[in-house]
Amino acid sequence: MHFLKLLARLAETDTESLTLTGPRRTALRRLAQAGTAALPAVLTALPQPAVARDSRTVQDVLKLALTLEQLENAFYTQALQQPLSFFGTTENQAAIQTIQGHEQQHVALFTRLLVNAGATLDLTPRFDFTGSKNGAQAALYPDVFTNFDTFLRVAQLLEDTGVRAYKGQVEYIQFDNFLLESAVRAHSVEARHASHIRTMRRQRGATVKSWVSPSDAPIATTGSVAAKAYAGEDSFTQYLAGNNLVPFVDNLPINVAKPPLSQAAILAKVAEAFDEPLDGLTATEVVSLFIY
Amino acid sequence: MSPLSNLRMSEPLFSNSFLARTLRRRSFFRVVGATVATSTLVLAGCNDDNDPTPTSSTPSLTLGSGDNGLLNYAYLLEQLEAAFYQKVVDAFPSDFTAEDKAAFVDLRDHEVIHREFFRYALGTNAYDSAGTSLTFDFSSFTLTTRAGVYAAARTLEDTGVAAYNGAAKLITDVTSLRLLAKIASVEARHAAFVRDQAQPGSFAATDVITASGDAAGLDTAKTPLEVVELIAKFVPATIVASSLPTI
Repeated sequence: MHFLKLLARLAETDTESLTLTGPRRTALRRLAQAGTAALPAVLTALPQPAVARDSRTVQDVLKLALTLEQLENAFYTQALQQPLSFFGTTENQAAIQTIQGHEQQHVALFTRLLVNAGATLDLTPRFDFTGSKNGAQAALYPDVFTNFDTFLRVAQLLEDTGVRAYKGQVEYIQFDNFLLESAVRAHSVEARHASHIRTMRRQRGATVKSWVSPSDAPIATTGSVAAKAYAGEDSFTQYLAGNNLVPFVDNLPINVAKPPLSQAAILAKVAEAFDEPLDGLTATEVVSLFIY
Repeated sequence: MSPLSNLRMSEPLFSNSFLARTLRRRSFFRVVGATVATSTLVLAGCNDDNDPTPTSSTPSLTLGSGDNGLLNYAYLLEQLEAAFYQKVVDAFPSDFTAEDKAAFVDLRDHEVIHREFFRYALGTNAYDSAGTSLTFDFSSFTLTTRAGVYAAARTLEDTGVAAYNGAAKLITDVTSLRLLAKIASVEARHAAFVRDQAQPGSFAATDVITASGDAAGLDTAKTPLEVVELIAKFVPATIVASSLPTI
């Protein structure tokens, strides 16, 4: 316990980290409750506490996941209150029902995990899916529940953001096998949802692949908060441990099409082949578009 | 085709004499490692009754241990997927649409990129870095019809998703964990796409997403040993995954 006190003192003196991540002391207490397996992660997290990415706690991770899932669950639940004419077909309605069911199950899962860890649950946020903050500003998506194409655009934004957000959090729960496996299993469900929403949009005429592609028609205005959900997704650079750049550009025999693709075209395929993480602060910013 | 005949097809550069075959296997085994492989070799040498069963001469494919073992495991899965899509692209079913073809070229390219990514990441630790390449056996699939091809793709992609979901907690290096997660969600997007084409609306059906209980709403996760059993019929070698991490 002696060094836990030391860690708590370190956390208290690190004001930047405190403002970024909230109740660090509380989370440290929870980590201690989780058992000795948690301690190495605390130690490795401390050397650079001022860097936001290194100072997230398990509680932060679970609360971000819960907020994302509450947002998606509320979004689909509200859509399912619309008449069949909104969806156009029973198949479309059934797909949204399937997705909503999973989001509701994810809300239950992360609620349970937080409660079991001794966390105090926050109040469920208030959501406005038009993006008007309950009328406080101009709506971003005024016809989200009357125009199925607008609805699907917002759905794609939320699902793609969810995939990226989970991906950005896995490293903070790596020390806990159960939490990590729960998160990656929810992560791939979000990716399946995203793929299906994208397939639906493509079948309705949108230029979009079932996987995130540089060739997708953008669904957010350049420079907007929503656009941050896709920033960096077009990257074709990947690094191994030790800052070892994977030489997709020059060396690897990946251009197997006959005739070969242009370099731009094969690098677009590389970008498609890797989904990119989104850090917790950016994910929260995107989610906040719909919270007032 | 039996796995054995496939393997022989993939080894055209070597003499058929028993001695040459044995020596060549010996060097292969040294690279992929392992006592299990050596015992296989001894059995093969003792087998003089012309028994055609492939088990006596099927080589071992040893994935190794630790993070490298897990990367070899992912590499083998990506090799399998890339070979599958290449086979389809080489001879599209007659009822494939232009959209089907474009999608399968994308899928082929993604899996080739994943395969080459893992090959580069592993370097000399790749189980086949000595140059032996496997010819996978897809004879259990029907690849002459659109329905057959999508059903086959569904099987492989769902297996891939479950494999990545089960491997995440086993990998130690955090950079590797991040990279596996970047690939896992692309595989899940693939899985949902091919499932929807095989059966509309089945992108996240209850055969892959747990319907109730504590894991309700979660995708499938399988251990390496479970996955190895599922892919064994495609691989013309005995996959030795016993040294992979289990917790």
